[in-house]
Amino acid sequence: MTDSKYFTTTKKGEIFELKAELNSDKKEKKKEAVKKVIASMTVGKDVSALFPDVVNCMQTDNLELKKLVYLYLMNYAKSQPDMAIMAVNTFVKDCEDPNPLIRALAVRTMGCIRVDKITEYLCEPLRKCLKDEDPYVRKTAAVCVAKLHDINAQLVEDQGFLDTLKDLISDSNPMVVANAVAALSEIAESHPSSNLLDLNPQSINKLLTALNECTEWGQIFILDCLANYMPKDDREAQSICERVTPRLSHANSAVVLSAVKVLMKFMEMLSKDLDYYGTLLKKLAPPLVTLLSAEPELQYVALRNINLIVQKRPEILKHEMKVFFVKYNDPIYVKLEKLDIMIRLASQANIAQVLAELKEYATEVDVDFVRKAVRAIGRCAIKVEQSAERCVSTLLDLIQTKVNYVVQEAIVVIKDIFRKYPNKYESVIATLCENLDSLDEPEARAAMIWIVGEYAERIDNADELLESFLEGFHDESTQVQLQLLTAIVKLFLKKPTETQELVQQVLSLATQDSDNPDLRDRGYIYWRLLSTDPVAAKEVVLAEKPLISEETDLIEPTLLDELICYIGTLASVYHKPPSAFVEGGRGVVHKSLPPRTASSESAESPETAPTGAPPGEQPDVIPAQGDLLGDLLNLDLGPPVSGPPLATSSVQMGAVDLLGGGLDSLIGGTNFVAPPTAAVPANLGAPIGSGLSDLFDLTSGVGTLSGSYVAPKAVWLPAMKAKGLEISGTFTRQVGSISMDLQLTNKALQVMTDFAIQFNRNSFGLAPAAPLQVHAPLSPNQTVEISLPLSTVGSVMKMEPLNNLQNNIDVFYFSTLYPLHILFVEDGKMDRQMFLATWKDIPNENEAQFQIRDCPLNAEAASSKLQSSNIFTVAKRNVEGQDMLYQSLKLTNGIWVLAELRIQPGNPSCTLSLKCRAPEVSQHVYQAYETILKN
Amino acid sequence: MISQFFILSSKGDPLIYKDFRGDSGGRDVAELFYRKLTGLPGDESPVVMHHHGRHFIHIRHSGLYLVVTTSENVSPFSLLELLSRLATLLGDYCGSLGEGTISRNVALVYELLDEVLDYGYVQTTSTEMLRNFIQTEAVVSKPFSLFDLSSVGLFGAETQQSKVAPSSAASRPVLSSRSDQSQKNEVFLDVVERLSVLIASNGSLLKVDVQGEIRLKSFLPSGSEMRIGLTEEFCVGKSELRGYGPGIRVDEVSFHSSVNLDEFESHRILRLQPPQGEVRLTVMRYQLSDDLPSPLPFRLFPSVQWDRGSGRLQVYLKLRCDLLSKSQALNVRLHLPLPRGVVSLSQELSSPEQKAELAEGALRWDLPRVQGGSQLSGLFQMDVPGPPGPPSHGLSTSASPLGLGPASLSFELPRHTCSGLQVRFLRLAFRPCGNANPHKWVRHLSHSDAYVIRI
Repeated sequence: MTDSKYFTTTKKGEIFELKAELNSDKKEKKKEAVKKVIASMTVGKDVSALFPDVVNCMQTDNLELKKLVYLYLMNYAKSQPDMAIMAVNTFVKDCEDPNPLIRALAVRTMGCIRVDKITEYLCEPLRKCLKDEDPYVRKTAAVCVAKLHDINAQLVEDQGFLDTLKDLISDSNPMVVANAVAALSEIAESHPSSNLLDLNPQSINKLLTALNECTEWGQIFILDCLANYMPKDDREAQSICERVTPRLSHANSAVVLSAVKVLMKFMEMLSKDLDYYGTLLKKLAPPLVTLLSAEPELQYVALRNINLIVQKRPEILKHEMKVFFVKYNDPIYVKLEKLDIMIRLASQANIAQVLAELKEYATEVDVDFVRKAVRAIGRCAIKVEQSAERCVSTLLDLIQTKVNYVVQEAIVVIKDIFRKYPNKYESVIATLCENLDSLDEPEARAAMIWIVGEYAERIDNADELLESFLEGFHDESTQVQLQLLTAIVKLFLKKPTETQELVQQVLSLATQDSDNPDLRDRGYIYWRLLSTDPVAAKEVVLAEKPLISEETDLIEPTLLDELICYIGTLASVYHKPPSAFVEGGRGVVHKSLPPRTASSESAESPETAPTGAPPGEQPDVIPAQGDLLGDLLNLDLGPPVSGPPLATSSVQMGAVDLLGGGLDSLIGGTNFVAPPTAAVPANLGAPIGSGLSDLFDLTSGVGTLSGSYVAPKAVWLPAMKAKGLEISGTFTRQVGSISMDLQLTNKALQVMTDFAIQFNRNSFGLAPAAPLQVHAPLSPNQTVEISLPLSTVGSVMKMEPLNNLQNNIDVFYFSTLYPLHILFVEDGKMDRQMFLATWKDIPNENEAQFQIRDCPLNAEAASSKLQSSNIFTVAKRNVEGQDMLYQSLKLTNGIWVLAELRIQPGNPSCTLSLKCRAPEVSQHVYQAYETILKN
Repeated sequence: MISQFFILSSKGDPLIYKDFRGDSGGRDVAELFYRKLTGLPGDESPVVMHHHGRHFIHIRHSGLYLVVTTSENVSPFSLLELLSRLATLLGDYCGSLGEGTISRNVALVYELLDEVLDYGYVQTTSTEMLRNFIQTEAVVSKPFSLFDLSSVGLFGAETQQSKVAPSSAASRPVLSSRSDQSQKNEVFLDVVERLSVLIASNGSLLKVDVQGEIRLKSFLPSGSEMRIGLTEEFCVGKSELRGYGPGIRVDEVSFHSSVNLDEFESHRILRLQPPQGEVRLTVMRYQLSDDLPSPLPFRLFPSVQWDRGSGRLQVYLKLRCDLLSKSQALNVRLHLPLPRGVVSLSQELSSPEQKAELAEGALRWDLPRVQGGSQLSGLFQMDVPGPPGPPSHGLSTSASPLGLGPASLSFELPRHTCSGLQVRFLRLAFRPCGNANPHKWVRHLSHSDAYVIRI
């Protein structure tokens, strides 16, 4: 006998032994055997071979043994469906057992055996159990409906179980109600359209009554269900709030948070003048504070939720700053969350306290925490103007500690402070310069270089300082290189005499020796600016920078409102809508806050409810993503060039130059999109004297009804270049089709016939959809108008700028720019959710900001104007008197462009921020905007 | 809803695995969880973890990981609460929670899970309610005896050994006590307060708050009513004041759902029918911040001499205990983080029973017992090698070096509540037939949560 055989026999032996014990006559022995089987099952041993023997033990009146057997069945039924059927009879019999425990047990277990065949046997017993006299059986049966629905939804509907389940909501036993609510809520989530949970004032009343009698877990189900209800007016909202408020002092934090969710949502409907509103605000604070005394895990989850609540309604916790002070024994993830909330709550009233705390934190040992604390000081300075001076002196104290990472972090935030309060704290520059050598992180180096460049005129040895950085130029990170380039150009513009050599050095380093297209392009732009018009260069480079906004990294209001609806769920921990992390579309029904009603009159149209942010209340928001304490200023330090000064400069400098030097290197990177400003060369052949004549006359001019904006026709091919044929034209877009409207004029002395047109390959694959049809012939001095339908299915090619215009005898080349807006498709309206998610998703580097000047339109007018050109307004909101329009558009090749248009009444210029995955198109979208809005 | 529940040993071996929804993934999920947890970067929160549409939420209890997974947007609070209830519940039913007890009672644990969670919906977590359904008896390693109970430590003096006194009374399984008629008549009532304090370097009090709990463990037969009388001057809320004398005031109170509050408004009496043997039924929870009726138990007067040039650091700590002279504090430990690389500690302590040592870059000063009103001191001298600062800064002898402090104190105050709340009486309606009167143990205790003094 070999060893291996020996081992297999022992294994067999074990199973064999168990088998024998299972078939023993003694109940005790049987029970012990089943227990052993279950223990082996847990450890992962395969005991499925014992299936028949275990099932045999099922017919017993001993409840304990029965439970054990059922346990085994649940685990193995799936792998042995045929065997499981053997057990069905016992199940059905057990459902009739006089003992309610056994009835419930049988129904529960049958639901857990996820074998299709068993479901048909389940229906009858389930129907009986749903109407059982014992509440324990009914509550188990209610859950079983949800189980069955998951296996076979159709069966549940056909058998009418859903109606029975609905009836159970009015059951006398609160446990049954809670389970019915839970089951219905889950089933309803997979059928978003169905009106399963028909919530009306009567059923809500029932739920509220059950709420008081349920177990804590049942209360959670009911509260979560209540949160989905939309009260019809503020009075109803208030009365629900009043009945939910007692839950706030429950010992179970989940109950508390579910109650907070209901209150936060319904509060939206209450008028702020109401006494009750104030009372409610006061009542919300203590339970939230209490959560912070729980275990760190709960604290963390609570803090993530409080972070949302503080952004939505800072007034709730404004007096509770102290509870967010960091304890030395908090885990790091709790500390960081607390820090974030402290800054959000910082105000003039408590800033001294906050600063004193932050200063303490900055001397702790944990490096990550210290860094965030230093950043937090900077954020305080930017948020609370009165404290800026104190913050700066605190930062200077910290720099004196000479601790490397503290110094670096401090310099980064001081740069932000300079951006916010220009020309106020320059006295500290000397101190900063002392620490130049200790900076080794790119961000800190870049910040320092920015400071030196910005204040070059006040730093005597600015050139020396910058020169010292230049030595290792190629070893620096892109961020530092870009910053260094800009700083030296600034220096040169401020002190032209002594720094000429330096600026030439850096320009050649950037343009000739660098592989980085961003750096090269920026280098070229500067170079050209400097060489063409130093005055303009000065205006552009040293232009006054926009002040940075007060609060960054706030959650975008629409998302925030949605997240408020998800308080106390995973969404509130991730700070993402559930659609972003729940797979399979379950539970991704979009939720929104109810609209605020002015008085008792009901809301007219909840669908079009505004985001609920009253004007002038929400601070300005830059939808930022990523790091909570992220860069306050990615304007200048982000790797790609997207700052307003540069953007405007490129506009002023004219496109031709940029195309030659700069943009084509961008185009080179992507072979998918190219700027549509590139020419559409079309060769228009007019072979004279050919015998074909056209049958159709399709020259009817396209009336500009209500389609997108149509530019006036421009001359594309002057007569003198084409033997007397003059072509002028424009592009239009009408209900989904693009066409090129041409006007052909024969200025020669001969008759022209047989026109044909051909397009070069271009970025969007624009090509004629039909041949050019001109009713022949075109007599001298005759003008004909033709509309040529275009399609975008032509071959797509990255465009090279056209250099030469060829002039053949009978084939004429002309080139024209087609406006981008003819490519905006009709279904370019993005769903709000998608919009938000996409906006977050697109990296900030892809954002471009433009100013549209002299456009005295109000939001409605602009919106409708843009809409007719297929730029759709997804959402609109009013912030501090400014109208913000969130818009989307889609190009024919499927590229989405998201836009935020900020219009200030009374101010003729508006701001346009564009985000797109293909940032190359932004510039052209901006031009399209400008064209549309100004005409 | 909850998809899976599992218990892992401290080494990551699955002890219990239960799937509620037939989700795919199977047992590998447990392994995946453990890998993810151990591979987590430092500052990331392990509380909620996410992997391919599956969310893990876990707590660590007695060296075991209790984990639930879900694939939906559920409430993490309810999951965390559930896990801690399950920990209590398993402890109740198996005697104690540990690797050994769990693996001995696999069948019982599964039976419990079946009743607690159905299809991932929580049904009940009440020990009392579950008693009606649970059939399996716990397997206990050694029979329970009163001797074990005494080692847990009831009152002050014994708790010197056990580091955490505020643990509750006994550890014995709920069900096995059924057979154990003789030991039925005991009730334990604990008033436990956690004190967290933050004192600024100038000695001013920045923050103080007290978290209190009244916990009950009863071995009386189920259904016997008891009444707990609290201090009559007890009042809730910032504005409310009761009676004439200085009231005992708290900011927030919450009660267990089974507590009958009929007599609370008028007489400050809580009425309840506690379930038998439930570990730590939290009858009442309260908190108080800022205004403490009594002075803080400890004040620390530090003085630091720091010579940057020679790297010599001298810390003189004076600790005053402001309790009444008849009370005392136990297991006092002062923890003071020191600058990096500190070597050699020389010390002069004011009494022989104290101990001080360097541990993990910090000074640890142990004072086993501090009598109210007394004052203790310690002088510590250390060398901080490290790179000496630039010569220009060498003169600043007073500024403390980086990394020193803040000091934190941990201690226990037996028979003392910081809020002043006392249990006036504990009355049982239950009259045992023939047996002696039930034993009632009422204890008060405060301990430190985070008592931090900045230097």
